[in-house]
Amino acid sequence: MSGTRLTKWVVAVPMAALALATIYPLVFTANVAMKTRREYILDRFSLSGSLHWENVVKAWTSVGMSRYFMNSVIVVACSVALLLLLGSMAGFALARLRFRGSSTLFLGILAALFVPFQVIMVPLARIMADTGLIDTYPGLVLAYVAQFLPFTIFLMTSYYSTVPPEIVDAARIDGNTVYGVYWRIMLPMGAPALLSVGVLNALFCWNDVLISLLMMPSAEHRTLMVGVTSLRGQYSDDIPTFASGVLIAAIPVLVVYLFLQRQIADGVTAGSTKG
Amino acid sequence: MLIIVVLRLWPLVLGVNFSFTGDGDRNGTWVGLDNYVTLFGDPLFRTALRNVGLLVLLLPVAVAIPGLLATFVYLRVPGHRVYRGVYFFPAVLSPVIVGAIFNLLLAFDGPLNTLLGGVGIGPVDWLGDPDVAIFAVVGVHVWATFGMALVVFLAGFSTLDPSLLDAAKVDGASLPQTVWHVIIPSLSRTIQFVFVTTMIGMLTSMFGLLFVMTSGGPEGSTYLPEYYVWIQQGQMNQPALASAASTALFLIMLVVGLVQIGILRRAGKEE
Repeated sequence: MSGTRLTKWVVAVPMAALALATIYPLVFTANVAMKTRREYILDRFSLSGSLHWENVVKAWTSVGMSRYFMNSVIVVACSVALLLLLGSMAGFALARLRFRGSSTLFLGILAALFVPFQVIMVPLARIMADTGLIDTYPGLVLAYVAQFLPFTIFLMTSYYSTVPPEIVDAARIDGNTVYGVYWRIMLPMGAPALLSVGVLNALFCWNDVLISLLMMPSAEHRTLMVGVTSLRGQYSDDIPTFASGVLIAAIPVLVVYLFLQRQIADGVTAGSTKG
Repeated sequence: MLIIVVLRLWPLVLGVNFSFTGDGDRNGTWVGLDNYVTLFGDPLFRTALRNVGLLVLLLPVAVAIPGLLATFVYLRVPGHRVYRGVYFFPAVLSPVIVGAIFNLLLAFDGPLNTLLGGVGIGPVDWLGDPDVAIFAVVGVHVWATFGMALVVFLAGFSTLDPSLLDAAKVDGASLPQTVWHVIIPSLSRTIQFVFVTTMIGMLTSMFGLLFVMTSGGPEGSTYLPEYYVWIQQGQMNQPALASAASTALFLIMLVVGLVQIGILRRAGKEE
């Protein structure tokens, strides 16, 4: 017994080192963001003597990070709302309403799940250009919804499959329409799954760079992630400002992660245990 | 009811439709296999393919690391709760943020080289040396995503029958023996899942890293098919060629995925 305990402590040391390696890059960046350029050039590692928030202010105002930030917030909020609405409706229907072709439809969604974005991005770009949706907020929102809807429907369907069918039947007998059942029963019951899927979708959309790069060519429509990449070119000699921009983009994710870590993990693993 | 069907079906059709228009490579005139000839004649695309081969070779490492760590976390190494939370964190960060951070860390005059210089290892041009850059990028990708696989492994562990582990302990099995004879066979489905998803992740979600860290360079050495698709579509404005590349990417993924499942199935049967 003492042997295994010793083994545990032996592996605990490299694991702690790895944990440090996981956090350190972010800490380093945060520290750099608080330095002046001079401090950074003289010494990269030492803790910043005083907190230079002006880097953050500079990144926020003069580079346009505030604008990119708002773009991201608008697009992510609309995409997630639409995804949850459509995903839960479709999930309810596929799990609890039998209609002609429902299983074929579900197979189609599963297939769509395995088609990577890179494979469809060329025709998608053409469709968006043809319909005039390119470089507009609705266009990007639609692209995100199209991209993440199969995943959302898949998770909502498997969640709603665990709801006993008697509940639906009882509600129907009580005189609810199908729509009423969805609105009064299924939507509230789906709340835990909706939270999980919603957080994941929000992260996907917030973190995406390829789709947004493709759909939003003009500078004033840039989302935050594309903004960060452009920052790199403009401020390659002003590392603290660059680091501040990175920090601005990372902080919302950090906050969400601290509060909703369990929901994120649930969403990630929901697909794996079913498969 | 009709409204729901319409509301429900229309976006589905839209989504599915979007997903499947990918096969229409050639718009306008029929050019046969010309695009594919161009594609495979392009040294950049060949580099991209070679890099895919490299990724496949590195895949077992990328799966073994989270698998091993998940085992330790499951066996309740001191502080396992903290590790779980910490390791998972980079997985939720955008590749752009991760790439930007490592741009700072791996710069030629950056902290990592300073640190290595301290112990007498000469500066390595992590992102500027064509032989090193792809490993640097893949390394960062693994750093950023191993937490995801770790969580999936842990979910697999939670389905594991604890009495099996107890039995192994009673029989006096060492830790490596337990891992090899008890844990790996019971988790074959999870391992299979992680293999396939990790591979898909390597082939389709490294764009952000490549875009920020190397832009495909130096000398095109860090091209991957997905980056090639983007360059042809977004920069060179050659959608037909880009489509050919993306079709090739899709085929690669299918083949690699099926081969993997085949190998893992057979390995599972031999147990």
